[in-house]
Amino acid sequence: MFVTSLILGLVGVFCILDSRLLGRLNFERPLITCTIVGLILGDLPTGLAVGASIELMSLGLVVIGAAAPPDMNMAAIICSAFAILTDASTETALALAIPIAVLGQMLGVLMRTILSNLTHAADRAIEQGNFRRATSMHIVWGTVLYSLMYFVPIFLAVYLGTDFVQRLVEVIPAWLTDGLNLGSKFLTAYGIALLMSSMLNKSLVVFFLLGFFLVGYIGLNITAIAIFACIIAVVLTGLKFRGGSPAAAGGVSMADEYDPLEDDDDL
Amino acid sequence: MSSANISDRRRYWQFLWRSWAIQDSWNYERQMNMGFLFGIAPTLDRIYPDDKDPRQLAHKKEAYQRHMAFYNCTPQTSAFTLGLAASMEEQYAADRENFNPDTINAVKTSLMGPLSGVGDSFFQGTVRIIAFGLGIQLAQQGSILGPILAMLISFVPSFVVTWFAGKLGYTMGSKYLTRLQGGMMDQLMYVCGIVGLMVIGAMVASMVGITTPITFESAGLVLQDIIDSILPCAIDLAVVMAMYTMIKKRFKTGWLLGICIVGGIIVNALHILV
Repeated sequence: MFVTSLILGLVGVFCILDSRLLGRLNFERPLITCTIVGLILGDLPTGLAVGASIELMSLGLVVIGAAAPPDMNMAAIICSAFAILTDASTETALALAIPIAVLGQMLGVLMRTILSNLTHAADRAIEQGNFRRATSMHIVWGTVLYSLMYFVPIFLAVYLGTDFVQRLVEVIPAWLTDGLNLGSKFLTAYGIALLMSSMLNKSLVVFFLLGFFLVGYIGLNITAIAIFACIIAVVLTGLKFRGGSPAAAGGVSMADEYDPLEDDDDL
Repeated sequence: MSSANISDRRRYWQFLWRSWAIQDSWNYERQMNMGFLFGIAPTLDRIYPDDKDPRQLAHKKEAYQRHMAFYNCTPQTSAFTLGLAASMEEQYAADRENFNPDTINAVKTSLMGPLSGVGDSFFQGTVRIIAFGLGIQLAQQGSILGPILAMLISFVPSFVVTWFAGKLGYTMGSKYLTRLQGGMMDQLMYVCGIVGLMVIGAMVASMVGITTPITFESAGLVLQDIIDSILPCAIDLAVVMAMYTMIKKRFKTGWLLGICIVGGIIVNALHILV
């Protein structure tokens, strides 16, 4: 158990360093980390199932600017480990994820407050002309402290908590498990609603409904929806922004595609 | 100038990975300030290489202090600011009389907002939703391709955008600003909005999966069958819209999470929904 906890703690380090050192490539997301936990503990199907469920309900919890949402990334690693190491069902693991995520959120807030001290230390170092020390505040101390912020709680939770969770799972009655199952579906709905709340406006409501009905009535899968959505977006942008300037880096391919369309319209 | 002795390719790599590492010491006081300093430090070290020369040392201190100011931006798009600020620092060092160093931080500050706006909605909104929408669906079918695909779809745009943002910022920064602030931002936001919301709509129908066990035994009717024949996934849509309304009414996150769990247990015990 000691070694397992240690390795899972390192998965946590990988998870936090994704947003610290890799500009948030989404490798920190529950779907990815739970899969890694599943691979390490030799139970990939459970890892995938827990990962997909936690990912779904935390999809809307995004770190934007200074806001700190419940830390589902940390919770995902701990809960997928519980789901594999104990008899906990996916739903039970999901329900456990919420309190853990809230604790993780508090820890994150505390950590980011403490890290303000590094800024002062760097200020002083620059004043003394010790430039290397100033940058090492960022790249060395930042890395170490953030890594510990994930490593320690995950290690402790798995090392000390697994037996407790096992006992807990054994006494959970069926009605509670069923209720948690529905609760996790509500959480999924909540996660999706959160996503919508940051993007939805009056002029875009029809596209949300279009995606919904294409799946509801015709049964297309998400890949198909994404492809159609890109085509519709490109066509409509061409119509809406006639004579606009070509897009930069991110939108190069899309921008290039709608230019010929504009010419056709002008004829 | 001494900065001539570094190849452009190496410089852009530096912009790329140091932009990605910008959140490494994220703190509440000045957020990504040290991250930005870390990003621009190699440029400053090249401009002012001699710490023994008191004049250079003073200039270097001043430059380091300048970049300890508050900063916060999406890492990928922040590479543009980093490239631009690096080229401005070089201009300033070359012509100290006619270049006001205050403009460097002014440009940084003015770019934070728009670049974060477009960066967050592109990466955290659209790219992430597509990547994980596909990924979750495959993972639910038990395929490891799900997470792999999600990683790939996340990585490629992130890499491409960061690389070109740094390069563009450094080579033609100020010229590009006007184009960025023109209609291009709006276009990109519009495209992101359409694609993101269509995928979200699809997720409502395919991933929530709430049904009702209610039957009218006297009439031999199963409510779920009736719903499916009129509007499939209507319950999912209703629950999502209820959540959306509560979020818009500014319910606290903690309350909503509690409502989901407790509500799930109660509604399930009453046999209204499963």
